[in-house]
Amino acid sequence: MQLISPLFRSFKAFKSLIIFCSVLLTLGCTKKSDAPDNSITFPLEAYIKGLDPAKSSDTYTEEVLSNLVEGLFQYSYLKRPLQVEPLLAAAMPTVSKDGMTHTFKIKKGVRFHDSEAFPDGKGREVKAQDFIYSWKRLADPATQSEGWWIFDGKIKGLNEWRDKIGKEASVTYDTPVAGLEAPDDETLIIRLTVPYYQLHYVLTMSYASVIPKEAVDKYGAEFLNHPVGTGPFKFESWIRGNKVILAKNPTWHGGTFPSEGSAEDKASGILADAGKPLPFVDKLIFLEMPEAQPRWLSFMKGTTDLSGIPKDNYDGAVKDRKLRPEVESKGIRLHIYSSAEVVYISFNMVDPVVGKNLYLRQALAMAYDTTTAMEKFYNNRAIMAHSMIAPGMDGYEPEFKNPFKEYNVEKAKELLKKAGYPDGKGLPPIEYSDSGTTTSRQMSEYLSQQFEKIGVKVNIVSNSWPQFQDRIRNKKAQMFGMAWLADYPDPQNMMQLFYGPNISPGPNSSNFQNKEFDALYEKALKLPPGPARSDLYKKMRDIFVAQLPWIPTVHRQGFTLSHGWIENYKKVDSMHGYFKYLRVNVDKKKELKAKL
Amino acid sequence: MFKFILRRTLYTIPILFGVTLIMFLLFHVAGGDPAAQAAGRYATPESIQIIRVQMGLDKPLVIQYFELVRQIFTLDFGRSWASKQEISSLFASGIGPSLSVTLPAFVLALLMNIPLGMLVAYKRNSWFDKNMLVLCLAMLSISSVVYVLAGQYFLSYKLGWFPVSGWDPSWIGRWEYVTLPVIILLVLFFGGDLLFFRTVFLEEMHQDYVRTARSKGLSERRVLFKHVLRNALVPIITLLVLQVPFLIVGSLLIESYFGIPGLGGMIFRAIQEADFPVIKAMTIMGAVLYIVFQLLSDVLYALVDPKIRLG
Repeated sequence: MQLISPLFRSFKAFKSLIIFCSVLLTLGCTKKSDAPDNSITFPLEAYIKGLDPAKSSDTYTEEVLSNLVEGLFQYSYLKRPLQVEPLLAAAMPTVSKDGMTHTFKIKKGVRFHDSEAFPDGKGREVKAQDFIYSWKRLADPATQSEGWWIFDGKIKGLNEWRDKIGKEASVTYDTPVAGLEAPDDETLIIRLTVPYYQLHYVLTMSYASVIPKEAVDKYGAEFLNHPVGTGPFKFESWIRGNKVILAKNPTWHGGTFPSEGSAEDKASGILADAGKPLPFVDKLIFLEMPEAQPRWLSFMKGTTDLSGIPKDNYDGAVKDRKLRPEVESKGIRLHIYSSAEVVYISFNMVDPVVGKNLYLRQALAMAYDTTTAMEKFYNNRAIMAHSMIAPGMDGYEPEFKNPFKEYNVEKAKELLKKAGYPDGKGLPPIEYSDSGTTTSRQMSEYLSQQFEKIGVKVNIVSNSWPQFQDRIRNKKAQMFGMAWLADYPDPQNMMQLFYGPNISPGPNSSNFQNKEFDALYEKALKLPPGPARSDLYKKMRDIFVAQLPWIPTVHRQGFTLSHGWIENYKKVDSMHGYFKYLRVNVDKKKELKAKL
Repeated sequence: MFKFILRRTLYTIPILFGVTLIMFLLFHVAGGDPAAQAAGRYATPESIQIIRVQMGLDKPLVIQYFELVRQIFTLDFGRSWASKQEISSLFASGIGPSLSVTLPAFVLALLMNIPLGMLVAYKRNSWFDKNMLVLCLAMLSISSVVYVLAGQYFLSYKLGWFPVSGWDPSWIGRWEYVTLPVIILLVLFFGGDLLFFRTVFLEEMHQDYVRTARSKGLSERRVLFKHVLRNALVPIITLLVLQVPFLIVGSLLIESYFGIPGLGGMIFRAIQEADFPVIKAMTIMGAVLYIVFQLLSDVLYALVDPKIRLG
């Protein structure tokens, strides 16, 4: 110990170190939380970009923003399939006989959140003109909105206004647009250029919500960090990369829990709150948690109230699509719902090899074993996709089978021979692009192994996300994996992915062009929902199957867990803004949390 | 000394030129098209072009590069394309959280690993030394993700000693959340630092001056702390000073797992979103910090070792 004693004497800091560590440990052990009992803490699986409705393009941003801002419509919380109902509109609109003019009455007494943007700090009443301002802002190129597509080419004079604003001094936000009129504070008229049967759906989206000009003027480019809307919750704080806190809006115009629901809703007791004023909770806390482990552990500790199930934790929590008893005993509940989404492997139809050889595409589709992929990558939390139409959408037929979705290596080899590449001979390696994440690389490896069985070699091109998107937009990706979550529950949103004029950089990223398909698409756009339109969608689906620009793989299903103290949870993917319906049973929370 | 500092400062110009050029080319060749990214999934050639003009990406590359050079000289990097916040305020909000984790870990690691390194070197070839060597090598060969995952699982979830993740903006409140990340960083520093310090001390302990000092009858304590430690400080300072820029930039891994809103996570998000203003400001800052601290380490050499003369 000759050395140790001088060390300790000289390095008195060592002693301090131990004391410091003890203090840290003590502080670390002191449990406290910024979430009051009657609040909901929700984990977001990705960082969010900004809280400007004009830029609400990703599902995580929408999860937060939809509690702050509101539009004319929302989806009914309990009805399935999803139905649109008035939110800031006083009632459903009056629609002219030709379907081209929609007249809305705005609900009275709707106020913007209190904000320093207003002269007295008190939010003023919403007027019909505010919608016109908000939608013009969406159209204004200076906003760089990702949501302009909802009105692009649809409203009289709006495209012309967009072309001139910022270029011609005489054109301002006060310049009238023929298709948007507010004859008084409570009346809003939309005049369309073409029939637009998806209008009511897009008016549920945050893109179409109403925001005050005063707040945009005050915060300028930073409006996305200081959102002001009319929603049941108002913005309190945001530490980027950590959490967003929203507080109950005391001046909310009000709303009640729905009274109509299915027999299943009645049985589950969800209608017990029917007619009661919303929202039920005082605060919403959204945690930005991109990593799966902290998300999962936080939920299992009761720090967060709701959670998805990370892939690696699925088997420990669920067996045969039911919660394991040890998880269920903690009061945790499992909610399974269909997602209006399709995951697919896309061919680039302008590629001289895969795009021009139908037999080759068919061979590759039959060589891909989707059933095993579902087990490997989705824990079977998905159903086989046979076309682009997702479950719950008009035209979706559960019994419909795409003949090329059959996994059959022998048939695939025959087709490959017909394609002119017996056993893959003469076929250059296929370039398959992925987004570089661990899972996407694993999926690429899997695909490569599948195609190898019929003699087709694959070169995997892993990219960063921006590079990946660039390759697709520039039509350079020969094949790639992707998913499309529908913006609204109308198959038109899926069909547009194959409409010729929408090719890259538009949403038709497979660059599929087929005159017959385009004619049917244009015809369907002019038809209201009904059997005639459904028939057209089925014909378009059949063209898709015959031409196979994609190998549709799966429709993922949502598996969400909630703690036993969260009541009234009933969600689907396309629906946001549902937190106002949720209730926290505070007594149950204390009791169950003690067991975690 | 002054001449040396001046010369080294002038050296930074070609270095910075090289760094900016490489970064600029990488961003434009391999970074994806930020305008197309901003235009979203319903992009049209027209909407992409409008955004490209707004971002200044339609100008010739040479002009864009000179704009970057202007920003370096004026230290005005503008606003983030994604969050629209001024880069300086983004940086100011991120540096505190990053340093809250890295600085305590760095200081504690020094206080722990330097004396331990000396002890291990002093006990060379003993069971203690051998075991410590094996331990260090074992710890170094385990991926840092494993420490993060295991620490979070056992210490936070199973034992409940720390919150799983989170952040409190107040200086007092944040200790609750940074304690475990600090401990994990301490563990991450341990293996590499200890092996390095051991080697440095061993080297010094076998120098002639040590034998001379002992033969003069100086006590072990005096030999070690007066002579060995002082001489060993030269390479130690190099290592430590060059670590400082990384402390400021933070740890992406730790920040993303523990929800710490620091600069590491900010850089990660900027790359994901092709947010060039943030990427270029952080790259320039990283390069400048590295150059400054390298210069500082050279100056400190001269101060602790009279044999080194700068000039």
